[in-house]
This record gives sequence, C-alpha cells and structure tokens, in this order.
Amino acid sequence: MKFDLSILAKHIPFLLEGAWLTLQACALAVIGSLVLGLVVGAMRTSASPLLNRLAAIYIDIFRNIPFIVQLFFFYYGLPEIGIYIDAFTTGVVALSIAGGAFTSDVIRSGILAIDPGVIEAAQVSGLRKITIFRKIILPIALRASVRPLGSVFINLILTSSILSTITLNELTGSAKIVASNTFRPFEVYFVLLVAYAALTYSVSILIGMLHRYLNRHQEEGAV
Amino acid sequence: MISITGLRKSFGAATVLNGIDLEIRQGEVVSVLGSSGSGKSTLIRCINGLEKIDAGKITVDGFDVSKPRELSEARKRSGTVFQLFNLYPHMTAVQNVALAPIEVLKVPRKQAEAEARELLHSVGLTERADAYPSQLSGGQRQRVGICRALAMKPSYLLLDEVTSALDPEMTSEVLSILAALAKTGTTMVFVTHEIEFARSISSRIAFLDKGQLIADLPTEEFFSATGMALPRVAQFLSKMRKD
Repeated sequence: MKFDLSILAKHIPFLLEGAWLTLQACALAVIGSLVLGLVVGAMRTSASPLLNRLAAIYIDIFRNIPFIVQLFFFYYGLPEIGIYIDAFTTGVVALSIAGGAFTSDVIRSGILAIDPGVIEAAQVSGLRKITIFRKIILPIALRASVRPLGSVFINLILTSSILSTITLNELTGSAKIVASNTFRPFEVYFVLLVAYAALTYSVSILIGMLHRYLNRHQEEGAV
Repeated sequence: MISITGLRKSFGAATVLNGIDLEIRQGEVVSVLGSSGSGKSTLIRCINGLEKIDAGKITVDGFDVSKPRELSEARKRSGTVFQLFNLYPHMTAVQNVALAPIEVLKVPRKQAEAEARELLHSVGLTERADAYPSQLSGGQRQRVGICRALAMKPSYLLLDEVTSALDPEMTSEVLSILAALAKTGTTMVFVTHEIEFARSISSRIAFLDKGQLIADLPTEEFFSATGMALPRVAQFLSKMRKD
C-alpha cells in the first residue's frame, strides 16, 4: 500500500468542519470547567463544612468515573427521565463537569499555597471577604495555577475526541466517517494524529507564555 | 483608646496570655517588651482580631473586637505592620498601599494612588513606587508595609516585630521612619526586641512575662530603679544588653 495524502484533498473541508466543532466544544468546555473549578475550589477551601463536603463529593465522583460513562449517562440516560439535550450541549456540559473536578483541585491547592500572612494583612485592613477573594486570593492562586491548569485543559482537548461516541461529528467523528468512506484509515488517522498533536502543542505554548507573562514580577531576589 | 481588660488566650493547653489589662490612649507610644514566647505578638493579633480571645474584652475606640459587627469598625481604626511584611505579591507598591483606601474607604482610585505615591515618597520610595514586592529589598518592603497601614489613616498603629526579619542596615531605615512617626504624634503599639530604640521613642513600656503583664511603666521609670526592682525585668534587660 502507498502512503498518499492527496486522496484526502476533497475531504478537507469536511475535516475542517469537524476541527472547528472540536475547537468550539473545547473552548466552551475550558471556560466552563474554569468557572466551575473556581466555584468548587472556593467551596473546597471555605470555612463552611457543608460547602466543603459538597465540593469534595463532586470532585470524588467525577474524578473516579470514566468520562465515557459520564457522557453516556448524560446523553443516553437522561432522556429516560425526560431530559433531552442535544449532542453538542451535552458534550460541552459533560466536559466542563468532568474538567471542573480537576480544575477545582488545582485551584484549591493554589489557594492553599498562599501565604496566610498575606490574607491576614488583607483582613486587618478591613477588606470584606468577597473583596479579599476577588482581589487577593484569586489572582495569586490563578497565577500559581496556570501550568497545572494547562495540563488539565490539554487533557480536556484529548478527551473531547470521546464526544464522537454520542453522534457528534467533531474532529475524531468526522475522521471516522472519512476513513470509512475512503477505506484509507492509515492516511486519515495519521492526519488526525498530527492535528491533535498540533492543537495540544500550540495550547501548551500559549500556556507557557501566559504563565511567564502573569508571573513576570515574581522572580525572587531581584532588587 | 484601646482598652484591654482581663484578656486570656490559649492555644490548646498552652496559655499564652493570662489576664492582661492594658490601656493605650491617643498620642501614646507604648512598647511591648518581653522574651520570645511571652505573648507579645499574640497580644497584637488579639487587638486586630486575627486571634479569637478566650476571655476578657478588647475595645478600640469603644468597638468590641470580639463582636463581628464591631470588628470591622475596630479594624478601620487600627493599622498593622507585620514582621514578614505580608505584602500582596501580585501588586505594585502603589497598588498595595492604595487597595484598602479604594475598597474600604471608597476613595476614588486616582486620588488613592496619588496619596499612596505621596506616602511612598515620604519614606524615600519615590523611585520604587511601581515596583513589585519581589523587586524590593526587605527594608523597602517593610517601608511599603508601613505605608499600607498608614494609608487607612489609622488612629492606632500596631507594629509586630517589624524589624525582626531585617539586617541592621535595613532595621535602621525602618526605625528612622518610625521615630519620625512617633514625633508626629501617631499612636503606636510597638512589639519589639529593639530595646534601645523602644526606649528612645516610647512614652510607656509594657513588659510581658509568661502571658502576664508584670510591668506597665513610663519609659524612664522602667529603665530606672523601679523597673530594675522587678527581677524578671532586670534579668531581661541585662541579657538583652549583653547580646
């Protein structure tokens, strides 16, 4: 057999459509999991035992169930009790919830790593709790969390390929279709492989840049 | 007036403050001396509400610090400077100083930052106003810390071993600022190991030993026969002077 990428030429628009869907789903899921992670991470470090417990339960459940099982439950299970959500929305929501379990843990450790003295300084200056969270805790925790959050997001992108199992023709889904139409799985999946590698590699470069930018004044010992 | 009556504070089985009565009036500079572990820092942390007190009462201008509603009023009236500076690492010197005036006193940002720059100028940090804490030396950081406390125009300045983390040169930078503040009539509670400096700026000395206030005397009396008549004080002073 001959390795010939040219036979994919006429399928490129279709594959690009799939890639675009992957990008949209991932972008929304990154935002969703970040927002969820912030809320749950804050709950996990709050003084309230109830909020703390609820957050811990959420993290434990969603980190310990295979993503595909969560996804099937949302997409094939929920309609049984009358809840119908389209594949794209289900995919984004499921990715956000699953990702949120990981981001919240990252943000929690970012919060716990803050020097308590810094928070005490904010308290005695009379700042309200919500202001301390917004202006002190969150910015410091996020700066420290950029890199670990980045690896969660890259995992999220990789995991998004599983959305093809709920009829969503994102990058992997459309590649599967092209492969079965052309009978050229080798070329098709080779392109798919390169596409995911390029996607995650550029995300990790962006994360690195963001980390350096946000932490540009943190080099110790500079006078 | 800061009024402390019957203050008790324990951490687990260890009683750190065991019945403290102390009053600090406007315009006074009160130095709190005592060996390590005598409860000096805990006393400050009780006044600004960072530690819950077990018994007794602390009021700042009449506001009871153990009542959550009154604590915020009490905190508006006092400013704290910490041993380890505790600056906000993600904010510049100006932002560190201006944050509380903007958020708590609702001063417009521009005005708050202009006032912050003025304060930083007064402690010789004009050039470093836009630097981040990590770009400042220890002495510079502590000067920012002092400005941050002063920005709230507190009636009382609480200083918790503010030079303990600094080398002698930086210590003198910071002490000269405190001396200038004392001259302007700023009320200060000064927890310190700098005996000679405490002597030079304080109107009164409070001496803590094993959680009890065993001396509360005008400065010169403390350092004269009256203070020396107390065995613990005499022992402490002779030890500190030898070092």
